[in-house]
Amino acid sequence: MRKTFFRGLKEVFGRDRGAASGLTSRFQAFQAVLDGNNRTLEAMTEMGEKLGGGYLFDVNYTRGAYVTLFSAISGSLRQFNLLTDDRYPQLAEILARIDTLVQRMLGGSASLSSPLVVSYPEIIWDQAEEVGGKNYHLAELANALHLPIPEAFAITTTAFTAFVRHNGLEARLAGLAGAGADGNALAELRRAILAGGFPEDFSAALAAALESMRARLGRDATLAVRSSAEEEDGDFSFAGQFETVLNVPCTAEAVQEAYKEVVASLFQAGSVSYQRQLGYDLGKLRMAVGCVAMVEAKASGVIYTVASGRERDRMSISAAWGLGKAVVDGMTDADLYTVAKGETPRLFSRRIGAKEQMVVNLGVSGIATVETPAAQRPLPCLDETEVIELARQAQIIEAYFKAPQDIEWAIDTNNRCYLLQARALRVEEPDETGSNAQAQATGYPVLLRDQGIVVQRGTIAGKVFILHHLDELEKIPKGSILVARHDSPHFVQAIPILNAIITDIGVPTSHMASICREFSIPTVVNTGSATSVLRHGQAVTLQAGEGGEVVVYEGIIQGLLREERQTAAKLRELYEFRRQKYIMRYIAPLNLVNSLEQEFTPEKCKTVHDLIRFMHEKAVQTLVADAEGQGRGLSRFFGTKTALHRLSLPISVQMLVIDLGGGLRGNPGGKTTGFDEVASVPLRAVLAGMLAPGVWQNEGVPLRGADLLSGMTRAADVPGGAASMENVALASSEYVNMSLRFGYHFNMLDCYCSDTPRNNHIYFRFVGGAAAITNRSRRIQLMAQVLAEQGFALKAKGDLLVGRLSGLSRQEIEGILEQLGRLIGFTRQLDARLDSDEMVTILARRFLQGDYRSSL
Amino acid sequence: MAKHSIMVIDDEKIVGDMAKLSFEQDGYEVETFLNGESALERLKERRFDVVVTDLKMKGVDGLEVLRSIKKLYPGVKVIMITAFANLDVAIEALRDDVHDFFPKPVKIKELKASVKRALGEE
Repeated sequence: MRKTFFRGLKEVFGRDRGAASGLTSRFQAFQAVLDGNNRTLEAMTEMGEKLGGGYLFDVNYTRGAYVTLFSAISGSLRQFNLLTDDRYPQLAEILARIDTLVQRMLGGSASLSSPLVVSYPEIIWDQAEEVGGKNYHLAELANALHLPIPEAFAITTTAFTAFVRHNGLEARLAGLAGAGADGNALAELRRAILAGGFPEDFSAALAAALESMRARLGRDATLAVRSSAEEEDGDFSFAGQFETVLNVPCTAEAVQEAYKEVVASLFQAGSVSYQRQLGYDLGKLRMAVGCVAMVEAKASGVIYTVASGRERDRMSISAAWGLGKAVVDGMTDADLYTVAKGETPRLFSRRIGAKEQMVVNLGVSGIATVETPAAQRPLPCLDETEVIELARQAQIIEAYFKAPQDIEWAIDTNNRCYLLQARALRVEEPDETGSNAQAQATGYPVLLRDQGIVVQRGTIAGKVFILHHLDELEKIPKGSILVARHDSPHFVQAIPILNAIITDIGVPTSHMASICREFSIPTVVNTGSATSVLRHGQAVTLQAGEGGEVVVYEGIIQGLLREERQTAAKLRELYEFRRQKYIMRYIAPLNLVNSLEQEFTPEKCKTVHDLIRFMHEKAVQTLVADAEGQGRGLSRFFGTKTALHRLSLPISVQMLVIDLGGGLRGNPGGKTTGFDEVASVPLRAVLAGMLAPGVWQNEGVPLRGADLLSGMTRAADVPGGAASMENVALASSEYVNMSLRFGYHFNMLDCYCSDTPRNNHIYFRFVGGAAAITNRSRRIQLMAQVLAEQGFALKAKGDLLVGRLSGLSRQEIEGILEQLGRLIGFTRQLDARLDSDEMVTILARRFLQGDYRSSL
Repeated sequence: MAKHSIMVIDDEKIVGDMAKLSFEQDGYEVETFLNGESALERLKERRFDVVVTDLKMKGVDGLEVLRSIKKLYPGVKVIMITAFANLDVAIEALRDDVHDFFPKPVKIKELKASVKRALGEE
């Protein structure tokens, strides 16, 4: 019987769908997609856990786990393509790109051909490695968030490799990998880079980018040429470690010279030391470079979207006159604004700094640090409107990257605001211990108390080393506490041997501050007097608390000292660990969140998780469209046949049921089937709701329980056999796709309801009605209010309502379906009665309380 | 009291690095080796309180390391970790008096607990 039935279906629809032509095989493909997605998610979760830092793993594990994951998602995609007749060929391309990126990270041989120069608007999601972290993040602010950034282009890591090869430097770089990289070898390498030439295609690509820049900004435009190393602004900031050349004219010669300076800075003493601490083999790090139009900055500064671990609901903005160098190098006492975050950010506090010095732009002759004019010093750099606007943009960035951000900004002489950089900000959890600290410290003289700003908390002891000149950095003994007038990114050279840093002047938003946080070096800046109060060689204990409490005791107080650096913080310094963990970037994040948004397109899929989400959604939609189409056809097809199960219900609804397997009990063999024979879990639940006492509204019929209801079967909702055939349910034991037509409106329900919550979903659509559009949309509002209570994601427009819900347990889905069944029944003829908006609210509230009266 | 010492042998650097970091955090003294040969060389010079070794390595493998240690320092406990969970090998290792046997990836907490048991600290 079934064979004939499906052959008949095929004749009716006549579409050639290959392997998935039959209804059951399409349903099987759908189930296979769900199954593949589940296995992928399981593999993803497992990998996330194992690579999270709590396990010892090796690359064999990572490779094996990835193979499992890749084969699951590939299988899912194959079935999905069968189901959708290859409607989304982009997905296979995206998966192939993800695979290439992951294989490259796993040390496989795959490689992408990459451009040498890319303009910022052309930078796309999978180019983070090619353009480097700094370029990538800044471009994303404009490309994804439409925030203002200067005109810019990136010179890629591929160009770096081409430059290295062209100048025969490969062997020298490889030679650095061992321990034999002394100061002379590094200086020699820097000289070779500075004397280097450019391959022809590199020069041509650069010339074209510069020409386009001049065309947009004019011939006098100048550029900031700055580093963007592979991992820069990723887990590690490299803050201030590489050269930035400002005011570079927009000519090939000038930019090439600046490029070489930036590249050579990979091999400066400080940056080499930093790379070693991050576990890099020297010479392996590849550098991209950014060429960003200079902003004629009136004022500049830095935003921390989280002021501190204890003040997560506040952000801090530091600001100084002129270029931002004054702030990031910590050389001036900047203004500090605190903003309370929220839908409308609010200025919480402000402290106007002395700003004795500022950095100014001297055009092609470079930049200079000058005394700030006396009249300008006490003036705030930002007014309240500007502070709030910066805060608003910062909140957008933080929400997008889903993590606290460290953002550089500038306001030009025309009062236009530009964002210059955004990177993750490391925020520590508040320290809950240390209540007995006071007792431990009793008897020790206090040298400094509550002066300065805590950059990195911690309690540590050591001997004071007062630094007067940078060239003394090499002389600092291990375990010292560095005390200096200003802070400086050059201190990074000494970080492996330093116990702590204390400065007289400085801001918590400087490059040095970023690096101290990265390496968990207790640091206090802006104490005002540390260099004069503390003595060179003096043994002290620094206690820098999260709440900003700073105490420097004379002597070493053992009782205060604890193991400060946590394993997790140290683990991040293992390059191989990070590299394998980075793979998760292409797997786990979910970018496609709301399926009702226009952004829900295959092109927006960036990760394996996105692919799963997209496939699930489209698989449901395809099956729905399919079942709808076949349902409509069936009514024609079976108009003359009796093979279909006709469901007889004690309400005025006629319904056909196509059993996909386990949907109905026994084998009624075309005879009339009742509610009791329905075995499909979701169909049974929704019918139970529709049959619940009191919900099936019928004008003029008093509602007094089941007896009365059964009497209604005689009065069909829409007279005439053909029209009532529009009510079709395709059902299996765990699935139903149901199309109901009552008069002039349609309900469509697609539901999977199994014991695996991840597989479960409800898709509900309602459209139409006979009453005026105002009344119809009131009905939609009422339904939306009820469905929202059930946790549906909803989209309503006019008389159309679309609701989606997924991932709930079988019991929960059943409960929601019953409520949905009640709602379907209750709202059947309701539109004509909804004369006011107030009525919508009242009836919705009553419905939720189980009161199904349809008049006030 | 002197720190307890741990020797970690694995031909993948990341395993040794992560183990070193994790154990040092708990106050142990840790030395790491990328192959069995260099580890055996070092063992001629000094004793470690516990040895954690990968099973499958080129050249001298984990079982050889285990046997050598049992000859040199019969009291020293050896913990074996391996990506290739193989029952036969596990049985052989147990016969050779391995203290514990973990498949990779191994949970660091469990490994630490095993080291503590080996040292009689638990």
